[in-house]
Amino acid sequence: MTTPELLAVAIAVLLAGAAASLALARRARLAGWVSTAFVAAAAAAIWVVVVRAFSSRAEGEATVLALPDLGARLSVVVDPLSAFFLAIVATIAVVATLYSVDYMTHFAGNTLAKFYPILLVFFAAIVGVLVVSDFLFFLVCWELMTLTSFFLVTFERENAASQRAGWKYFVITHAATLCMVVAALVLWRQCGSFHFGDLLAALAQLLATRPLLAHTVLGLLFIGFATKAGVLPMGDWLPDAHPVAPSGMSAALSGALVKLGIYGLVRFFGALLPASAAAVGWGIAIALAGTASLFVGTLTALRQTDSKRLMAFHTIGQIGYICLGLGVGIACLRTAPTLGALAIVGALFHAANHACFKACLFLGAGAVLYRTGERDMNRLGGLAAAMPLTAGSSTVASLAIAGVPPLNGFASKWLIVAACLLAGMAQPLFLILGLVAMFISLATLASFLKVLGAVFLGQPNPERRVSEVPATMAAAQVVLAALCVLLGVLPFWPLRFIRDAAAASVPIAVPSASELLGGPWGLAVTGGGAALALWSPLVVAGGMVVLAFVAYGLQRAGGAGRREVAVWTGGEEHAAATVRYAASSFYLPFKHAFAGIYPRIRWRVPAFPGGLRRAFDVDAWAYRPAARLVERAAGAVSRSHVGVPQVYLLWIVVGAVAVVAIVLGLVG
Amino acid sequence: MLSWMLVLMVLLPALAAAVAAVVKGAFARWVAATAAAVVAVLAVWCCLAGYGVSYRVTLGDLPFLAGTASAPVPGVLLDPLGCILLLVVTVIGFLTVLYSTRYLSAANREHPEGPAGQGRYYFWLLLFLASMVGVAISPNFLQLFIFWEMTTVCSWALISYYGTPRSLAAGFKALVMTGAGGLFFLGAICVLFVKTGSFEFAALGQLPGDWRAAVLVMLLIAAWAKAAQVPFHTWLPDAMAAPTPISAYLHAAAMVKAGVYLMARVVVANPEVPPAVAMLAGAMALVTIFVALSYYFIQDDLKRLLAYSTIANLGYVMLGVALGALGSVTALRGAALHILCHGFGKAALFLCVGAVAYVTGSRSISALAGVARTMPLTATAFFVGVLAVAGVPPFGSFWSKFMIVAGAMRLAGAIGPVVVTLVLFESLISFAWLLHVAQKVFLGETTPVACVNSDPPPAMSAALVVLMLGCLVAPAFGIPLVQWIGR
Repeated sequence: MTTPELLAVAIAVLLAGAAASLALARRARLAGWVSTAFVAAAAAAIWVVVVRAFSSRAEGEATVLALPDLGARLSVVVDPLSAFFLAIVATIAVVATLYSVDYMTHFAGNTLAKFYPILLVFFAAIVGVLVVSDFLFFLVCWELMTLTSFFLVTFERENAASQRAGWKYFVITHAATLCMVVAALVLWRQCGSFHFGDLLAALAQLLATRPLLAHTVLGLLFIGFATKAGVLPMGDWLPDAHPVAPSGMSAALSGALVKLGIYGLVRFFGALLPASAAAVGWGIAIALAGTASLFVGTLTALRQTDSKRLMAFHTIGQIGYICLGLGVGIACLRTAPTLGALAIVGALFHAANHACFKACLFLGAGAVLYRTGERDMNRLGGLAAAMPLTAGSSTVASLAIAGVPPLNGFASKWLIVAACLLAGMAQPLFLILGLVAMFISLATLASFLKVLGAVFLGQPNPERRVSEVPATMAAAQVVLAALCVLLGVLPFWPLRFIRDAAAASVPIAVPSASELLGGPWGLAVTGGGAALALWSPLVVAGGMVVLAFVAYGLQRAGGAGRREVAVWTGGEEHAAATVRYAASSFYLPFKHAFAGIYPRIRWRVPAFPGGLRRAFDVDAWAYRPAARLVERAAGAVSRSHVGVPQVYLLWIVVGAVAVVAIVLGLVG
Repeated sequence: MLSWMLVLMVLLPALAAAVAAVVKGAFARWVAATAAAVVAVLAVWCCLAGYGVSYRVTLGDLPFLAGTASAPVPGVLLDPLGCILLLVVTVIGFLTVLYSTRYLSAANREHPEGPAGQGRYYFWLLLFLASMVGVAISPNFLQLFIFWEMTTVCSWALISYYGTPRSLAAGFKALVMTGAGGLFFLGAICVLFVKTGSFEFAALGQLPGDWRAAVLVMLLIAAWAKAAQVPFHTWLPDAMAAPTPISAYLHAAAMVKAGVYLMARVVVANPEVPPAVAMLAGAMALVTIFVALSYYFIQDDLKRLLAYSTIANLGYVMLGVALGALGSVTALRGAALHILCHGFGKAALFLCVGAVAYVTGSRSISALAGVARTMPLTATAFFVGVLAVAGVPPFGSFWSKFMIVAGAMRLAGAIGPVVVTLVLFESLISFAWLLHVAQKVFLGETTPVACVNSDPPPAMSAALVVLMLGCLVAPAFGIPLVQWIGR
């Protein structure tokens, strides 16, 4: 089968799965298993497409449908960049659906007819977004994705918070989409086509002839993509919408949906800017937006006590890292291709890594929610013993997101920060941004130590009986955690393909994978023939394993015992739950220092001017007075109807005389 | 063959109307449903048979005009633009009749209705269907005008159907305002006939410059009155006193479309419209869009909110037509497509409101909440309708609105970007508000008013399902069809 056929099969399978799960909606678990089977089948087809796109058997563009009047055609092409994101989406989709099989059973009052079918259409829309090469149909898929995710976010019908969050999400992202519509139309006016290639050519030409208009278009596109990606301040929808969605959907939102904003940025900005004179300016702008996001997002996350909200803020932060890498890459690619490619590759790698660990973290938070009904970390604690798999996966993912070696978060952050620091030699701003990113990694670690400490460690609440989540939910988490380890220990393996994706999307030749990233067992950044930085995860991981065995051996050899004692509360008697070190007690100085970093702006809707309202009410000042006038005139005329025959006769005579007089006057 | 089918589509509902008026009680609705179904099937067949061509036949001649008028008057015309209106009128007309068969019943908690008065209802409804088909297939101004005024009368009778003082006043107001607009139409026809000796649409092009502008402005005033555009926008919200299926059909999908259809017809037949008139039409359309928007936020009655949304969307069609008159054929096609797509979306919304009122007895935004719990199908249809009317892809209005704004972009100078910005701004605000209202009414905690049993009866639900599908697939057959307009 050709690539378009495979994609058509994947989308048809997803839609068929939507229909099947709609029919089975009354039987929650069965609907879940059926959906998982369909998603898995579609994911298999997509993986074939991905493998094919990265192999030499890549195929050209295929046109399905054309609208000649608009210069739009539904054409499909899978290049390595699309394939890279397709791989992320296919993986996350399977895991999130599998997880939902048992998770969704605990929503009693809500029918699953509005979960699985919409979820599967949502995945189909994402596939559409990634494969079409025409902006009009891109927008159609993009908004289909938004509207399906809106219904998934507002799944809990009676929860006012989820309704508000869903509304905010849909309206903000719809506004962003309209910005993209304007941008596309301006370019379409120049070239009469919506094809990506034509639009980019028109934009490049516009940059040369009318730079102001071109930068406006770029700004509109940036707003469109960055809003979806969750870059602040447009990403303000994200901390509201992620927590209220069912956890499988939160994972899909953070793992897949926000990545598409990054996809759009790479597809347009990465493909156009590096070769143009505007590269440095826009590169710095994107990097600054990213740094602002990672700074504000992560420090705000530090203040949160709602586990899923905290993770949503970290999504903003991690997207900030990706944008930082992207910005540095775009700015440097022309002058220093190796450095720029390194930054872009690091950014894309971080996108994949973020999908793994953030999805895992949301699933972990969901697992805790499933068993305890709590998202408030102040009321949780001591779950590690009862939920070992969840606790273990969440720990791995937490360390990964914080960038602890040898996990995957470290590898990608290492690339991004290395690129920032090296680019800082020429452009000191990037040095500062890189240092900020490094400092914020620490804040991320602190934030997740809080999560691990408050949720999994400490004394369990004896009144609450908690057990490990069902196998499907545990499996989903363990798979993602294993991916975090795997991608971290063997970073060169995925990075080889990511280099291909980056190379396919930028207009400047990118060095080969081994030139760019060093050997197969580690990473090396070289500059001017000398190795500038090295990262050997296997050595570090091996060393850590050896050290762990040594420590364990020493402990055994020394016969050091462990003793467990209750928390000492000065002799007072307290329940374990009340003397726990609660989540809100962490990092108070930080919270005070950065209290106003995420301001809540209250919009005041301006009152509608009363004068204008009266002017619009044409009835009041025109029609009703006119009608009354007519009525009064009719009344005046009717007064002549006195009901006396003699008077009427008199009128007739007078009238006859008048007529005769007029006729005589005219004739004479 | 085709011509007689077209004539049959006018005569059949008119005949059925007469039958429905005299037969007893429940039988009337079966007569009406059958006739409407046959007409809908015929209309689809005709549109397929006459796909992409302009089919025109003269049927006899009027003796008193023989020799005076340069072309015979009675005839039929089926072209892509007429097909669009014909499909809207007949398909949604059938669904409305189907819906009405259950809506007008004793089980209706808003307006319990015995079988007694129903013959009158179906008489006017079918007569309206016949006259609307007549509007869609009229080949000249005179014939169009006759059917046009017939729709006005039907509208008056149906708005006043319940006979309450409010509905009587609303019906009278609608009659006076649209009737006054009709006088301008008549004036335009008189001038045209005196100056050119013809009632043809294309005869406008033979008028000398100043007269042409005057006639066009008179036609424009007639269209504004019919389509409830500023400054004649005040009758439509009051007309919501009509039974809800009537509001869905006459005052959202069909009759008000006659106004914009007239202007589209004029522009299709006469590409050379004086720019000043086109600018006037476009400017008033923009004013209408924003005036209607300004009323959204103070409505509590769902039907009145939808009425203002209808006014705004008719403004969109008018805008597209005006841009078409300025030379952008894409916008003109978008306007024609919007007639179709908006018809499906808005009819779905109105029929949902009717279903909610049927089951709960209320259509107040503040009193209703959490209706989706017991009426999932209605809630789905309402959300689909909101997304369709607001222009969220992949639903219908996205494509039509997109074609209108893209058409605006085609024009030279600053008009395009300004129009696009204004239109998209309105689009966003109205989308946000409609979504908010949909969430308020259908989601959240269920209020006592909304504690009801279930979705409406199957006939009403079926109409909702078909309209939902229509919202999704309308562009699929609408876009190829409108490509033939303006060739």
